[in-house]
Amino acid sequence: MNTISAIEFSGISKSFAGVPVLRGISFKLGAGRTLGLVGENGAGKSTLMNILGGNLLPDTGGMVLGGTPYTPQDPTDAARAGVAFIHQELNLFANLSIAENLFLAALPRMGSMPWIDRRALHDRTATLLGQVGLAIAPETLVEQLSAGERQLVEIARALALEARLIILDEPTTSLSVRETETLFSLLRRLQARGIALIYISHLLEHVRQLCHDLVVLRDGEVVAQGPIEAYDTPAIISAMVGRSLTRLYPERRGASTTVPLLEVRSLTQLHIVRDISFTVHRGEVLGIFGLMGAGRSELARILFGLDSAQYGEVRMREKVINRREGPRERMERGLAFLTEDRRHEGLCLEASIADNLALVSLREHARTPLRLLDRNTWQQAISTIRAAVRLTAKVSDAQSVQTLSGGNQQKVILGKWLLAKPEVLILDEPTRGVDVGARFELYQLILDLADRGAGVLMISSEIEELTGLCDRILVMSQGEIRGNFPRTEFSRERLLVAALPREAHA
Amino acid sequence: MKPILFLLTLAIGLSSASCRKSASSATATQGDGTSPADKPLVIGVAFETLQTEYWVAGFEAIRADLKQRGWTMLEAVSDGDTNRQLEQVKNFITRRVDGIILVPKDSKTCLPIIKAANAANIPIVLFNRPADKSEARSVAVVADNFALTKETVTYLVSEAEKSGRKHKAALLIGDLGDINAIGRRDGFDAAIKGKESVIEVVARIPTEWSQEKAQSGIVNALQAHPDISFIFTSSDFLFPSIVSALKGAGKYHKIGTPGHVILGGFDGDATAYQMLKEGYLDATGVQDVYFEAKQCIDAILDLRAGKILPELIRDPGFVIHQGNLEAKSAQMWGAQKR
Amino acid sequence: MPSSRPSKETAGLILPGVLFRRALGSDYFVLGLCVIYALAVGPFTPGFFTPENAANLLSTALPLLLVALGQMIVLITGGIDLSVTSIIGLCSVTGAMVMNPESGGLGGDMLTVPAGCIAMLLVGMLVGTANGFAVARCRMPPFIVTLATMMGVGGFAVWLTQSKAINQLPPAFNALGGHTGIALAITALAAGCVQVMLNRSVFGRWLYATGHNPRTAHISGVPVGGVLIAAYACSGMLAALASVFYTGQAETGSPVLGQRILLDVIGAVVIGGTSLSGGRGKVLWTIFGVLFLKLIDNTLNLLSLSIFTLTIVKGAVILLAAVLDAWRIRVAGHPA
Repeated sequence: MNTISAIEFSGISKSFAGVPVLRGISFKLGAGRTLGLVGENGAGKSTLMNILGGNLLPDTGGMVLGGTPYTPQDPTDAARAGVAFIHQELNLFANLSIAENLFLAALPRMGSMPWIDRRALHDRTATLLGQVGLAIAPETLVEQLSAGERQLVEIARALALEARLIILDEPTTSLSVRETETLFSLLRRLQARGIALIYISHLLEHVRQLCHDLVVLRDGEVVAQGPIEAYDTPAIISAMVGRSLTRLYPERRGASTTVPLLEVRSLTQLHIVRDISFTVHRGEVLGIFGLMGAGRSELARILFGLDSAQYGEVRMREKVINRREGPRERMERGLAFLTEDRRHEGLCLEASIADNLALVSLREHARTPLRLLDRNTWQQAISTIRAAVRLTAKVSDAQSVQTLSGGNQQKVILGKWLLAKPEVLILDEPTRGVDVGARFELYQLILDLADRGAGVLMISSEIEELTGLCDRILVMSQGEIRGNFPRTEFSRERLLVAALPREAHA
Repeated sequence: MKPILFLLTLAIGLSSASCRKSASSATATQGDGTSPADKPLVIGVAFETLQTEYWVAGFEAIRADLKQRGWTMLEAVSDGDTNRQLEQVKNFITRRVDGIILVPKDSKTCLPIIKAANAANIPIVLFNRPADKSEARSVAVVADNFALTKETVTYLVSEAEKSGRKHKAALLIGDLGDINAIGRRDGFDAAIKGKESVIEVVARIPTEWSQEKAQSGIVNALQAHPDISFIFTSSDFLFPSIVSALKGAGKYHKIGTPGHVILGGFDGDATAYQMLKEGYLDATGVQDVYFEAKQCIDAILDLRAGKILPELIRDPGFVIHQGNLEAKSAQMWGAQKR
Repeated sequence: MPSSRPSKETAGLILPGVLFRRALGSDYFVLGLCVIYALAVGPFTPGFFTPENAANLLSTALPLLLVALGQMIVLITGGIDLSVTSIIGLCSVTGAMVMNPESGGLGGDMLTVPAGCIAMLLVGMLVGTANGFAVARCRMPPFIVTLATMMGVGGFAVWLTQSKAINQLPPAFNALGGHTGIALAITALAAGCVQVMLNRSVFGRWLYATGHNPRTAHISGVPVGGVLIAAYACSGMLAALASVFYTGQAETGSPVLGQRILLDVIGAVVIGGTSLSGGRGKVLWTIFGVLFLKLIDNTLNLLSLSIFTLTIVKGAVILLAAVLDAWRIRVAGHPA
């Protein structure tokens, strides 16, 4: 075994405004090995990686990179030392070409002239794209690429910098199953080339597939480390949350009824969804599974009046919803919609927690004659819902939601809709980017809602989550419903088979 | 809302309480004017615009004259904003200036400004633009637009007569909201009256004192009447537009050469001086800026001494043309190096 | 051999105390700037600390504040209203036409002044609503919409009057517009209404939500289009109200009234702390912003500076205020 480690942390500590975020972190990663770094949101993973990437300076402690002391002052230092950081929100310029993105810092020149050597740029980019298995012209603009392709371009950029250590932060969040597979096979090739990887993810299954070693952070400390084989999934989870979760999914107390709430009949929008019919009943949790591009989110948007449909009928509590009704009218009929794009559609990020929570139900607090807000009932509603969704007590109502972790942000959105007392709640990928502990609480809230007699339509790309929660699962593929599975018939394989696209005319 | 009201009252209270003393002392030093001419005065000068040479020349003439007398000048330019000018003059009043020289936006919007000065008992003199008749009391020093234009155009007509043929003429008229522009138009009409055998006016171009409008107007006129051979502009600052239009039509020639278009103007700015010197311009009526500046300042002294002045003080001006160019250029503001 | 080194970043962030940080983050920051500025420049400015000057300052600050409040409402939605100055001009002309004995035909009736004022407010609201409609329903960028309105409405006002000012307004109107006490009362009332609307009404919360994130607001059931239309209508109406005072002060209806104040308006609102990108803005901030801007104007006018230096100094002071503001947001903002 190689004695020089790829990276070694010793005694790294960091505080923000007196609050310790990292406390004496020490571990090392062998050359060419892959480390899975896991922990709940706020455990300190991002801070640690920002220190490694040169974005932050540690208060105490030091790092050794490939045998030499490593003290990056800024990201440029880190890049020069061969450390590449691939962020969750990708850092590519959408309006530039792939080639320009890869070589932005050092565009090849014509000799000493200030003109760009287009041919060299093209050739070098083509080579790198070949290495990451992306068969696209180097001149393609990044804005034309899918999320998965952008991820590969990011890795190509790391290779352009001849990185020896690549940090990947939640790389699969916005990737389809197929894109994830492509990414993993690329990462395996990088492993074979001796490049060390640090892989951060909430999806333990992925960590398990890819990594050699594991480090678990909790409250800024290393609580578990060692070869991945030494830990099974429950052990990792209990290390992360600091208690053993006997169950991943809360228990269902109520049961589905046969009273129809939301009825969808032959809903069709050309090239988007085709002949969709189903019913959500009172007290039912109905799941919709499908791969990326199956038309699930599009269906949800049509149901909430954000997009239009050409044909079909939607009824809410036996009353037909007019096709032209927007979100506001549908809200009044008892619909609620938690979108998959939390940051851009779910929240007003810079606004306060209180304002976000109250937004949907504001009018309930308006008092005539001037329709002014009643601060008392308003404040009461916010306190009640904060307690109900178990929002972290560390933050005040006036703090802006962007300071919250993903899980707490999702709780704010859920709380906002719960205040409107919905009859049918549509959830699109509600647990994306949410850590294990918070997930359990979100699940609990969703089931509670169903237990109180509401209907829930839950869209997800995680089969485990759907099988753990739902009374029934619909599978969508190519804009159509391809399967309807009651709880007794749940099986991972059958769901996946139904979700795979069929060959044309097969 | 409570804190806001509180703060406003606080601000007013503070400012009035803390320095009532300085205000009263200022009034005391101003005194009743036993020998007002002997001690240096403070004069507020508020111009509506400094966008044409003429106004800059006037501004500088006033500044130079005041400096010579050893007085202080407070400056303000309102860029065409009437309310801002009112605010500026009120600030002069706050500072207890001894007199105000004003170039208003127009003859109407200046009335509240004059009233404010009247109320504070500060003499106010209008430079070059008189106010409408009202109960507001002011003195205006203005060029005799009518007489001077008539004199200038009469000279131009006599030049035209020498050619022995009939001339088609174009007239560029100013903004008719400006009494000066009306005076110049009427002066032109009076000069050509009875000269129909020599001058036929084929185009009367409204410019609203805008170079762009003057340019397009003269281009159109030359298109419609290519034989125009006599142009008078109500202000010299429009000459660049006229010259470029004439050049475009191939009609810009020196005096004495065939195809020369007889040109005349009003103001006496640097462009006009240059054109006179080079032999393109026949004549222009010069407003005597230095005379006007001096008259303004003298009027303030007279008003402070309690004299009754007429509402309008006339600047007779003079016509400058090829015949008297050398003799008169020393008095022409456009001929001075700045 | 790990090296241990104190971070330069944390060292730089340590502040003398919580109080300092609180002062920076306070709503009263710009007021503090005003006080410091007044104390620093006042003693050297003859005539600054006089009651006349206070009244003077107030009489010019009040109409500007009205326009600025309207602008702030639009800025909160993430838009901008460039047409306010043209609205002032058009309202001035319409009001004057209604009240002028020759063109209005009301002939000095008791109702002349109220009719004139109502006409002005209606015109302002109408133009504002048209702006809002174009922004909300036709989905046009606010900058272009209001730029076009600025030109169109400004041109219309000039055409209406053929570029001539209209005077002979009823003395009662001139007294109303020129009276600082009345202006103070009405402005305070308007500011109070805006304050209540922003903080205590459903509409106010919708306004902020729309500014923060229109997509989220739409999905959360906020009638985003209606909110935008109402915001521009408010801006138009407040500009019209300011026009009443501007016209009364000038005792003349003129299409070019207030043409030069656009940058003062936007400048005052932004100096106060309202964000150009939407979602942030308070009545109190705007009041202080207007006060600050007018204070600079006032002192620079009183000092016997050359007109050319004056403009440069004004630019420099505003830049300095902007730098201070950026610095305070960085320091007093949320630590990571």
